[in-house]
Amino acid sequence: MNTDPVDLTQGRLISDSEIRLWVYQHFVDTGRAPSPVEIAAHFQLAPADIEQRLRRLQEEADALVLLPGSSYIWMAEPFSAVPTSFHVRSGARHWWGNCIWDALAILALIGTDGSVSTACPHSGQPLLLSVTGGRLADAQGIVHFAVPARDWWRDIGFT
Amino acid sequence: MLLFRSEDDIVAWCERRHITPGAVFALAQLWRLATAWYDDRLDPAWRRRTAPQRQAILDAVGLTGSFWRLTDS
Repeated sequence: MNTDPVDLTQGRLISDSEIRLWVYQHFVDTGRAPSPVEIAAHFQLAPADIEQRLRRLQEEADALVLLPGSSYIWMAEPFSAVPTSFHVRSGARHWWGNCIWDALAILALIGTDGSVSTACPHSGQPLLLSVTGGRLADAQGIVHFAVPARDWWRDIGFT
Repeated sequence: MLLFRSEDDIVAWCERRHITPGAVFALAQLWRLATAWYDDRLDPAWRRRTAPQRQAILDAVGLTGSFWRLTDS
């Protein structure tokens, strides 16, 4: 199956891969997801075309998760487009992780020093993690995975 | 995938929600997993890793056993 179709626009080919990468870079640079209209404006494509491509990136490439019943991006793992319990900061930039794994992964994939703020779901105690020089420098707490690996993508919101 | 203050908090949280406790491990191991699992996301040629490739990452960071099997086989 061809999961990376192309359209002819403005004399050049735009691939789904190019759109995926731009969405990720938008998260890195701004901490939020671009809307379908913003993506369409950037690539000079029709919003309906972008919505179709976003659905394809979700359903065929497993590259994005859209908010149910919409064309808006919910997750580009490890980034979350909506606020969560896992706040990631580096200097003036900040992001939301989908879980503690993803929060740490944001700092890892950007390759920057920073911190993750969360809280123990039972006690409510704030927990702060720091990454310095590519190493986890300050590590409070212990990790719990409730869902076995084979079921991680059965309900990604719960996982 | 949550971060708790202590193992006691995990047990109490699971009991309160009638959830069977899953896997518990240290942050240092999660950092290794996070670093390896997502290191390809900014690659222009990214394709979702196959199940064997993902399983190899779990194995490499020491997450082995039935809880960490991505498939039933």
